[in-house]
Amino acid sequence: MTWYIVRRIGQSVAVIVGVMILTFILVHLEPGSTARAVLGQKATPAKVAIFDNTYGLNRPLPVQFWLYCVHVVHGDFGISYVAGQPVSTLIAQRLPRDAVLIGISTVLALIIGVPMGLYQAIHRGTLRDDIVAGTWFTLYSAPDFMEALLLIAVFSVHFHVLQPSFTGGITSVGGLFADPNAMILPVIVLAINSVAGFSQYMRSSAIEELTQDYIRTARAKGLRERLILTRHLLRNALLPIITILGLSLPNIVAGAVIAEAIFNFPGMGLLFWQSALSHDFPVMLGATLIIGVATVLGNLAADIAYGVIDPRIRHAAG
Amino acid sequence: MSRTHRIAGVAAALALATLVAACGGGSSGPIGGGSVVKGQKIKGGTVTIAEVGASPNDIFPLGPATNSNGYNADLTLGLWPPLVYSGDGAQSIPNPQESLYSSLKYSDGDKVITIVLKPWKWSDGVPITSRDFTFAYNLLKVNYNDWFNYVAGLFPVDVAKVITPNAHTVVLDLTRSYNPEFYTDNVLATIPLLPQHAWDKTSAAGKVGNYDETTAGAKAVWNFLQGQGSDMATFATNPLWKVVYGPWKLAAFQSSGYYAWVPNKNYSGPDKPVLNEAIWTPFTTDTSEMDTLRSGTSLDVASVPLNDVRQIPALKAEGYSVAQVAAPGVAEILPNFYAPVAGLLLRQLYIRQAMEYLINRKQIVQKAFAGYADPGNGAVPVAYGQQWDSPLEKAGGPYPYDPATAIALLKAHGWKVVPGGTDTCIRPGTAANECGAGITAGEPLTFQLLFGSGTESYNEQNAAIQSTESLGGIKLTLKSEPFNTLVSTTGTCNAQSHPASICDDWQLQQYGYNGYLMDPSGAGQFNTDANGNYGGYSSPEMNKLIDATEYGSSNAAFFAYEDYAARQLPLLWLPNASTVFVYKSNLAGVTPLNPFSGLYNPEVWYYTKPAS
Amino acid sequence: MQPAEHAAIAGSVGPAPEGGEVSSRTGGRSLALDDFLHNKRAMGGCMVVLLLILFCFVGPLIYGTNQTTVNLNLANLPPGGGHPLGTDEYGIDILGRLMVGGQSSLELGFAVAIISTVIGALYGAISGMIGGLVDAFLMRIVDTLLAVPTFILLLIVASMFTLNLLSIILLLSLLSWPYVSRLVRGQVLSLRTREFVQASTTMGSTRMRILFRHMMPNTFNIFIVTTTFAVADAIYSLSALSFLGLGPPPPFADWGTMLTNGVNDLFDSYPWEVYPALIALVVTVLAFRQIGDALNDIASARSTR
Repeated sequence: MTWYIVRRIGQSVAVIVGVMILTFILVHLEPGSTARAVLGQKATPAKVAIFDNTYGLNRPLPVQFWLYCVHVVHGDFGISYVAGQPVSTLIAQRLPRDAVLIGISTVLALIIGVPMGLYQAIHRGTLRDDIVAGTWFTLYSAPDFMEALLLIAVFSVHFHVLQPSFTGGITSVGGLFADPNAMILPVIVLAINSVAGFSQYMRSSAIEELTQDYIRTARAKGLRERLILTRHLLRNALLPIITILGLSLPNIVAGAVIAEAIFNFPGMGLLFWQSALSHDFPVMLGATLIIGVATVLGNLAADIAYGVIDPRIRHAAG
Repeated sequence: MSRTHRIAGVAAALALATLVAACGGGSSGPIGGGSVVKGQKIKGGTVTIAEVGASPNDIFPLGPATNSNGYNADLTLGLWPPLVYSGDGAQSIPNPQESLYSSLKYSDGDKVITIVLKPWKWSDGVPITSRDFTFAYNLLKVNYNDWFNYVAGLFPVDVAKVITPNAHTVVLDLTRSYNPEFYTDNVLATIPLLPQHAWDKTSAAGKVGNYDETTAGAKAVWNFLQGQGSDMATFATNPLWKVVYGPWKLAAFQSSGYYAWVPNKNYSGPDKPVLNEAIWTPFTTDTSEMDTLRSGTSLDVASVPLNDVRQIPALKAEGYSVAQVAAPGVAEILPNFYAPVAGLLLRQLYIRQAMEYLINRKQIVQKAFAGYADPGNGAVPVAYGQQWDSPLEKAGGPYPYDPATAIALLKAHGWKVVPGGTDTCIRPGTAANECGAGITAGEPLTFQLLFGSGTESYNEQNAAIQSTESLGGIKLTLKSEPFNTLVSTTGTCNAQSHPASICDDWQLQQYGYNGYLMDPSGAGQFNTDANGNYGGYSSPEMNKLIDATEYGSSNAAFFAYEDYAARQLPLLWLPNASTVFVYKSNLAGVTPLNPFSGLYNPEVWYYTKPAS
Repeated sequence: MQPAEHAAIAGSVGPAPEGGEVSSRTGGRSLALDDFLHNKRAMGGCMVVLLLILFCFVGPLIYGTNQTTVNLNLANLPPGGGHPLGTDEYGIDILGRLMVGGQSSLELGFAVAIISTVIGALYGAISGMIGGLVDAFLMRIVDTLLAVPTFILLLIVASMFTLNLLSIILLLSLLSWPYVSRLVRGQVLSLRTREFVQASTTMGSTRMRILFRHMMPNTFNIFIVTTTFAVADAIYSLSALSFLGLGPPPPFADWGTMLTNGVNDLFDSYPWEVYPALIALVVTVLAFRQIGDALNDIASARSTR
């Protein structure tokens, strides 16, 4: 087990380095002069030179990359071209807010998705199964930005009951709860995005468990159906959800970019999107790196947890 | 949500405007809602102002050259207004009541300026003196290359010496004569005074001295202040920024762009704030701002981005009034006179004329901008007012939409005109009825128009131009790029920079508008060596006319320049979208908007009790 | 949308631990056409897709409109009078635009699905066949691409370059193959231990021969399923990109851009500029996902039979 964990951590480090190389290359694909993109059309050559010198953009790319890596190891993600602030400060302000937003919406999605999947498994092949599946499938297939806008159209614009955006200053994570009304719609939109995944996953996992011998034995022993479902089925069928949680993190993050843009939520997604538009490389690099690290850690945690539970995995892992 | 690049676009447009000075120039009277509010004036209250994409990031009023963020001026204007306060209401003239000077005298052939300061005080009670001007001057004299508002050749390098005969008088000895109007409007209006008694130090713990009087000291003070000025975490707490002389003090600031002003209790000026607080709350996207406005929330004043003017009726239904003001600047299609082949075509005035005749500006104003735009008749917005608008401009400019005239022009110069197709040159040569220098037989009349992506109104405008140009057989290919990419890949093209690959990649460009200060001068735009002359337009006659407006003192010179520019088409003129706002109907004093001083002047706003 | 989640939704391509083996529930047997033909969801989805293809590609031949000339005087006309679905902000007929826009959407979906599946399958199979350090290295590349959301990478590139249909197809293909490759590799690893492969190895077959004769046909199920999902994903990604203002500029039309252009008028004004494109988009995505899901059901049903 120790060896398995060590090996998985080694792989994760390799992947994180890979993410750094990938984003660094992508960001430097930019045609033309970054300084001009940031400073505007009237930037004189002198100003461009000052800018390039300040941010080391006049050095060869491999050198820039090496310096970037050295700085990152020391916790320094560079200075935002646009905000003039350390990227680590900007990220540190926003990351906890995302943890709250994504955390709440994921829990909500699980609360809805798991019983839903179980319900479908028990009623598999019936009309009820189809109706539940069809509903979530349709919601899942509609673009999430349209769902968000339609919810806003109904609850904010028409009925004036829910706030469609975060306004005012949010200084701390707690500030998010100062205005709980504004949290409702973003949480719902993100949750809708995940529920279909969780419930369908739960459904197939439960169907598989239902065919297992222990359930048959339990039934044969005459245990009450409710007891079978809660004590045996739910517990075993839930295990794979651990993995899907780790795997769906990138998807949730991508959804968060759009949701944050719509709801003016001051989180990482919005930060990333703004920096992409303003060609603010240090922020883009930092944000992507954090997202990559979060995904890798999520998968690592899921794998280790899964490995602890199911020894077969660690032997099969390549 | 096409807000995306518009955010970059707006920021950059603002940056353009603020680059030349603290704000742009050119205003119209309010055309939208007037703000005659009946009812009783209420003391106090909070106003919440929504802005899209606005996030200031530097508070030192002399921002660094590498910071192009136009919203910084919005943040600092209420704290340290410049020596000359730009804009009186919506008029493009200085506002003497709000300004720090009590008199400005030009003498010695307009080479010497005598400035007398009003006996106003800093917020800590210390009187404002001429020393505060020399402090700012000393810092700039050494560090002007690192000052964002520096324009080549102007302040501070055009100052021979500064004399302060007494505590309230500053005498500027300039190296050359200027048109006083130009210098006051476009130079003095960019310079704030700085509190020498509080800021002349080189570290937070250090003592205040006269460091600015030596070169090394001025550098050290500058570096210290700029360093402090970019530390967003301390904007609202740093003791430096507590010393102001404007009507407001900064009470709160967050890196997202959220900030709050509270009244400066010791403000010496005439308009002491009635409100208790003015809060700026930023929106990243216009969709989000619009949704919020329409959901009955507490936003009191909000900018309405170009793409959303169609929602104005719905906003009125939510209890908002509408105000608009012409954006101080000129919108254009920029021709590259140094592009291979296309440059040769564009050098021909008759081709530019034909192209302008084929732009249906009236239709664009109505359809693409929902009526909220200046018609773009020439180099100066029509709304700029009596003083600046020549009869020709007011009459619709020299080239109204007229496909027949365009076709006739092209035919007269040896082109085979194929409406809906592509014209070709059939009479090459340089005679009056031939195509012109360098244009070969069979040359097609076709151009690529490059523009910033993401703004729906511009997409519509350019598609419409493409469509109407084709009526005269001029084939435009449209290409849009993300705004910042556009800026980073297209360079200034002129006799010096040519040939350069950066000039070969574009032929026509449309990216928004060029900002003006109070004086809508062509200086910096159309003269041969102007910083803003990206396309390499060069005409000795134009240079002469512009110099006459900048250095001479004749007011008639301006119309001469203006009409020449309108006719010569250094740029193809386009309609320029107005700045549109909504505000709560019980808020008075919002209009007329002052586009020269950040649009918002909450010091004169107040709530009213509804008249019963 | 990340493929991992589809697998979850489809429910039968089990957990894929990083670098680990893929559940072999889909493997072994090929999908039978017979099963497919008798599956209502699959057939329903196929019918819808067929109708959409007819609508988009044959429709313009019957209902001819001018989709190139902008005329602002005809902008935003309500449905009726020669324009059954009205006109958009450029004065272009919306029904006609729906057809042309659908062409781009469908072309994009199919192209990305096919290219990414082929790249992913080859990469995964080769990696699995070679094994050892090379495999470990190749899989770290895949892990890297999977660690950052596709949509984030897409945003980075789209913020710098103006995209057109071709470049979006290439870009999405380059970003979408890693998941397929991991699935296929897992399949190959498990097949390598099977008797028939070992038998042909001992009989002296070359690696390539084993790969193409035995491995590829046996991983076919995975392609089919992932391809169907990839079609839906690609269409969806483009619409999200357009929504954020980073899609291809006009005159390019796809359902996503149509939707986005009309979105500011969602609440009133011109509903006909929003809803037709929205319905077309949802129906298409739904149809493809239904097919993919049904295929998965068939596969898992057969393997557990």
